[in-house]
Amino acid sequence: MTESKIPVGKRARLSVYFNKRLAQYYWERLQKNKLSLAGMGFIIFLMLLGIFGPFFTQDPTYSDFNLANIPPLGFSRQESVYDIKTNEFITTVIEGRPDHPLGTDSKGRDMLAMLISGARISLLVGLIATGIAVFIGVVIGVLSAYLGGWVDNVLMRFTDIMMTFPFFLLLVLIVFLFGPSLAIIVLVIGLTGWTGAARLIRSEALSLRTRDFITASRALGASDGRIMFNHLIPNVASLIIVMSTLSIPGVIMSEAALSFIGLGDPMRTSWGTILNAGQHTLDTAWWVAVEPGIMLFLTVLSFNFFGDGLRDAFDPQASI
Amino acid sequence: MSSAILEVENLNTWFYTRRGIVKAVNGMNYSLYAGECLCLVGESGCGKSVSALSLLRLFDSPPGKIVQGRVLYNGTDLVACSPDRLRAVRGKDIAMVFQNAQSALNPVFTVGDQMMEQIKAHDGLDRNDVLTKAKMLLEEMRIPGAARALKMYPHQMSGGMKQRAMIAMSLSCDPKILIADEPTTSVDVTIRAQIMHILKDLKARRNMSIIFITHDLSLVSEIGDRAAVVYAGKVVETATVTNIMNNPSHPYTSGLISCLPDISSGMKRLPSIPGNTPNPLNMPAGCPFHPRCSKAMEICRRVEPGLVHIADDHTVACHLYGPGAGGSR
Amino acid sequence: MSDILRVRGLKKYYTVMAGLIPRPQGEIKAVDGVSLSIAEREVLGLVGESGCGKSTVGKAIMRLEEPTAGEIIIDGQDVIRLNKRELRQMRGKVQMVFQDPDASLDPRMTVGGSIEEALIVQGMSDAAERMERVGGLLDKVGLEAGFAELYPHEFSGGQKQRIGIARALAMDPKLVIADEPVSALDVSVQAQILNLLMDIRDRDGLAYLFISHDLSVVRYISDRVAVMYLGKLMELADKKEFFSNPLHPYTEALLSAVVRLHPGGRERILLSGDVPSPLNPPSGCRFHTRCHRAMPICPLQEPEFKEVSPGHFTACHLYG
Repeated sequence: MTESKIPVGKRARLSVYFNKRLAQYYWERLQKNKLSLAGMGFIIFLMLLGIFGPFFTQDPTYSDFNLANIPPLGFSRQESVYDIKTNEFITTVIEGRPDHPLGTDSKGRDMLAMLISGARISLLVGLIATGIAVFIGVVIGVLSAYLGGWVDNVLMRFTDIMMTFPFFLLLVLIVFLFGPSLAIIVLVIGLTGWTGAARLIRSEALSLRTRDFITASRALGASDGRIMFNHLIPNVASLIIVMSTLSIPGVIMSEAALSFIGLGDPMRTSWGTILNAGQHTLDTAWWVAVEPGIMLFLTVLSFNFFGDGLRDAFDPQASI
Repeated sequence: MSSAILEVENLNTWFYTRRGIVKAVNGMNYSLYAGECLCLVGESGCGKSVSALSLLRLFDSPPGKIVQGRVLYNGTDLVACSPDRLRAVRGKDIAMVFQNAQSALNPVFTVGDQMMEQIKAHDGLDRNDVLTKAKMLLEEMRIPGAARALKMYPHQMSGGMKQRAMIAMSLSCDPKILIADEPTTSVDVTIRAQIMHILKDLKARRNMSIIFITHDLSLVSEIGDRAAVVYAGKVVETATVTNIMNNPSHPYTSGLISCLPDISSGMKRLPSIPGNTPNPLNMPAGCPFHPRCSKAMEICRRVEPGLVHIADDHTVACHLYGPGAGGSR
Repeated sequence: MSDILRVRGLKKYYTVMAGLIPRPQGEIKAVDGVSLSIAEREVLGLVGESGCGKSTVGKAIMRLEEPTAGEIIIDGQDVIRLNKRELRQMRGKVQMVFQDPDASLDPRMTVGGSIEEALIVQGMSDAAERMERVGGLLDKVGLEAGFAELYPHEFSGGQKQRIGIARALAMDPKLVIADEPVSALDVSVQAQILNLLMDIRDRDGLAYLFISHDLSVVRYISDRVAVMYLGKLMELADKKEFFSNPLHPYTEALLSAVVRLHPGGRERILLSGDVPSPLNPPSGCRFHTRCHRAMPICPLQEPEFKEVSPGHFTACHLYG
């Protein structure tokens, strides 16, 4: 039991959503999970890369066919050209070049620039679509749990229907109908991906609702809105954060998959579109497919590690 | 005095957690004589349950570990013996009854199946004999319609019935010692009276030794022959129940007794022990009770008192008693 | 003496729904016609085994559960007829203390925030005034004002219960419903809390409805005692009369089941069996299946709850 020396009258009203001491406590717990910290580090690096990277790299759409299929720095590739004059194959060795450190693709676009631009797109898609999904999920979950009765029934049956709906098919259909634009892709992923969140939040809120502190608040005469915003949502906040972190990689993969099958936004370079391009040149220029693959792999892994660490840090029962 | 059937000597069970070492049992000493009921009394978190679980090494390990000490049962040290030997002792010689019958019974098997499995595990009886024995045990527990009760699943039984079925199950191998860990905490008063009655009856008819763990001193006077008061992982006082009740010597014991609202007295204001039970991660130095003790002296802050005999079969760990205050035993 | 609370014929039935398309399968009569009153500054102990409906009586008085029938008059107002706004005002007069101190405080809110909520809800708009009041309330229950900054997990069980009491006292209620306020606490802490409740009553002139299963605690704190069994009152009497001259066989059994520190004297009455299911209570007198003094009339006719001697009520055919 530590004694607080802060005089009560002087403090500002504390927010139920953020408190420095509590945040510090969670940070200390998070720090004990090294994998999670590494994940967080990579995510921050990726974000900085996505935000500032494009200012320092060349235009990712600029293509120069003379510089096609240059291997990454430190690698080399043999190219045989049939020379009509001499009737023989001339084999040249193409070395990696410092001005294209990660090589170029078959159209001579710089891989580094494309990957950085892809990071921006992938993160944007992941964050915005997850944000939309989690927001809808929280609203539906909390309302459903708190109001109960027929509202709960209607909302949950609607969730069931959404869950059984083949979401990828819907995505393909919408992209086919409205054309492949990034905004539509993000919107569709967000508007269909909230079902899991809604269920999770609902079950958590249901168990919270029966706790005495909610009853106590009702006994004081607090309004429904007050109970939801001041008690229910703060108590599921950590769950929301963890859930969001763990669902971002799924969304990034969805966008990549969509781009991979050729339904991505042709105006933007995402990791999925690079992968798509790379699969045709696997035999000549393997790096075009491998590099975005590695980026996707690391990103998904980082978000998962980070999310796991957050979950343990927030869970008072977990011994860290 | 008859001979001790179980002796616990300087038992230390520590839990190694990330936040530090929790010394749940920290130098526990007591003995159990044949045919008697010994009550371990203490507040939640004082280590009384862990000490009982330590007898059969039933706590989670890791993080728990018996760091030091001996548990002598019939000449065998249960702390040092092999897991196979210990398994033979569990259930057969020493059985346990837990606080929560609901979670101690397996919900997917009938009570009869669970009892028969217990009996078969240790005895080599054939099916008919096993069945008869199970039925007899339930009858001994005064469960009406024992034959029917054998075919019931736990959820079909009421709370009191489950608790009794669990006691019956623990008796299935005729143990010499029964450890009852707060068996009446989660049941109502009228059911509690039934269970206490059964336990007393068992002790008398089977001449069984019982270790009765409770936080409720009034139950101690009801069932116990001797009592050991536990505070912060240690026994602070042992004596016969009459002695404990009429002549409590440790300040903690007398505080515990006086703060109970007794139904037969019409007191106006309850005396209470100030403060809270100590944090197991941060035990006070010296006597662990000194921050809450009204009779604390200077020495209590520094030196931990050992158990001293103050009368026949009455030992206390307190600097108020004994010569040369504070020999570390 | 004027009554702060008068309850007449209070009933609370729960409909049991079952089946694929939920249909009413029967009714649990949790509270089935309870009448009692509490005078100003009086402590009424309400005793019974788990599931007898004693907590439901408390919740119905707070209107945390909507009563099925009956009349609840607090300070001259019929609580059941109040609209939302009037109900909020009424809740300033009646407050509640809960059993489990761990569950009754919001883990994400500072304890000061939890107490402050009562003040906000009741319309105290000046923040500085609220802070001062929170400090005063903490002081009143024996805690330091600076503790307002801390979170529930930083307190022990007894301290949390003190905070729960402070919250209940926030609006100077006239009646506090204490639902098993000490049964989750350690014995050595129980006495502290009981003393605190008594001190507050003496100082502020409160009345309590003290709900408990523990007769020795009830004896210590109450002026009058009521016994409930399967949703009905069995006996109600002044404390002295209740303990020295219990009339109902159930009361006799309960009293004899209380273990004393220094046993001896009275013969113990062992009740057979468990409490029957409230879904299907026994006919006639509900207690006849376990009663050691049952007569032929008991299963046939329900005894009336009537005054046997001045202020001593019981429902038993022995006294007809």
